[in-house]
Amino acid sequence: MTWVDAVIQGLLLGGLYAQYAIGLSLMFGVMRIVNIAHGDLVILLALIGISVSAAFGLGPGFIMLLMIPLGALIGWGLQRGILNHLVGNDPLPSLIATFGLSLALQNLMLTIWQADTRSLDAGALAIQSIDLGGIHVGVLPLGIVAVAALLTWGLHVVLKTTRFGRALRASAADKDAATLSGIDTKIVYAKATAIAVAILGIAAVFQAARTTVSPADGGAQLIYAFEAVIIGGMGSIWGAFAGGLILGVAQVVGSRIDPGWGILAGHLVFLLVLAWRPQGIMSRR
Amino acid sequence: MSASPLLTARALCAGYGDFQALFSIDFDIQPGEVVALIGANGAGKSTLLKTFVGLVPIRDGSLTFCGLDVSKTPAHALVSRGLALVPEGRRLFRGMTAEDNLRVAADHAGQPAAGTRPWTLERLYDLFPILAERRAQAVEDLSGGQQQMVAIGRALMTQPKLLLCDEISLGLSPKVIAEIYDMLPVIRQAGTAIVLVEQDVSLASRSSDRVYCMLEGRITLSGRSSEVTRDEITQAYFGVKHDLG
Ligand SMILES: Nc1ncnc2c1ncn2[C@@H]1O[C@H](COP(=O)(O)OP(=O)(O)OP(=O)(O)O)[C@@H](O)[C@H]1O
Ligand SMILES: [Mg+2]
Repeated sequence: MTWVDAVIQGLLLGGLYAQYAIGLSLMFGVMRIVNIAHGDLVILLALIGISVSAAFGLGPGFIMLLMIPLGALIGWGLQRGILNHLVGNDPLPSLIATFGLSLALQNLMLTIWQADTRSLDAGALAIQSIDLGGIHVGVLPLGIVAVAALLTWGLHVVLKTTRFGRALRASAADKDAATLSGIDTKIVYAKATAIAVAILGIAAVFQAARTTVSPADGGAQLIYAFEAVIIGGMGSIWGAFAGGLILGVAQVVGSRIDPGWGILAGHLVFLLVLAWRPQGIMSRR
Repeated sequence: MSASPLLTARALCAGYGDFQALFSIDFDIQPGEVVALIGANGAGKSTLLKTFVGLVPIRDGSLTFCGLDVSKTPAHALVSRGLALVPEGRRLFRGMTAEDNLRVAADHAGQPAAGTRPWTLERLYDLFPILAERRAQAVEDLSGGQQQMVAIGRALMTQPKLLLCDEISLGLSPKVIAEIYDMLPVIRQAGTAIVLVEQDVSLASRSSDRVYCMLEGRITLSGRSSEVTRDEITQAYFGVKHDLG
């Protein structure tokens, strides 16, 4: 029973990783941009949300409604202002630029919020749980997984069936050919990054409500998101979702074996998948 | 020549970085005309087509399309004005179905020329019935000929007034080449002008009204396909007296 519990708690933890991962997967799969600042953007949005909540006494639901458009705006600006100049076959320029951005954001956040740990008060939701035959399942973590699944499904449907989704997949497959079909790839890319960071706005609120955040936490979030994407298979949105859940399960099961092994177990599973199926578990190839 | 050419290039120069690939190109095409563009490997045929559609920046000279200066128009915006390129090597959207490849172009199409029937999926499937059968298949799983049909279809779905075809016969069997070339008169009947870049000089001449020959980034010959002689082509193609064989 403790193992069933560990797996379920792992899936619940993985819901948050899945939320980080789908945006990263979208950016990498489509634009070959490895956004090193991905984790710092989550933390930035979370800290802004916490401060706004404290200043105006707003609940997490309201904060989320604010953070989604703010994330979209930041994503759009980031793509139009910086990344669109660097997209190409070579992922290095955007990697260096987002690395610089990551450092800048961390310093900015340290200056504004100091190194304190903060969190968002989710009220009763934070401690509610339901009893599934002896296993306690937190309502908030369950909601996080459900939202992650919903976001993944929504993004999948958008990519598969809409005009924007086709333009995005076409731009990912062949930028010049997409241009020749009348697509303004710079606009398509800006929309994609806006979506990716808007999703981080959702993830940020959940992260702040479920655990704590401090300005230096971004690196770890990036690693988890990155591992989830690689486990799932680059460019596969459902893969990123599955990768997040697998990573969560590995961490919780690992920590049940030995409390110090949680994070390490996650990395080990990542390495095992890399050795066994380098293209990721859900990749077509 | 009639008073309103569809596309006109005057003293057009273009290149890649430090390398100049096109030197003072003069080129015209009328509405509904089929023009062949021939030349040896590396002559600059693909570069010229890419310059027409805005993928290679113009350094000097002028380019007008439908009477408007387009020398600074971004490539994606030219598409909705009616300029389409079937690129060398097809460049299909891998991982997407044949039909989605066509839909992408339809999504961003311009208005078809006044008085012409718009290209629709149905009309395209009438032209290439095999594509109707394979519509749900990923493009990379199609045969070379079928892929080329998707590439041409994708360009047609943008409702072009001018269709630029870069070596659409490359790597295909003679039977498939004939099938594809048989479709050109149908496309042309719809009022679309066509530029054909073609390695097979006699096929190019047979299929066109006029021919341009390029050598080392320059136009070395232009004339009516029925009137230029084999000797003239050989001279323009190689720059020296050779036999084409
Ligand atoms: N992307 C590029 N970067 C630099 N130089 C290029 C590029 N593409 C073509 N060139 C050069 O420009 C010149 C013209 O090339 P282009 O592809 O236009 O020739 P082509 O007539 O289409 O030849 P082919 O019949 O082999 O397709 C060549 O010298 C080629 O090496
Ligand atoms: Mg060529």
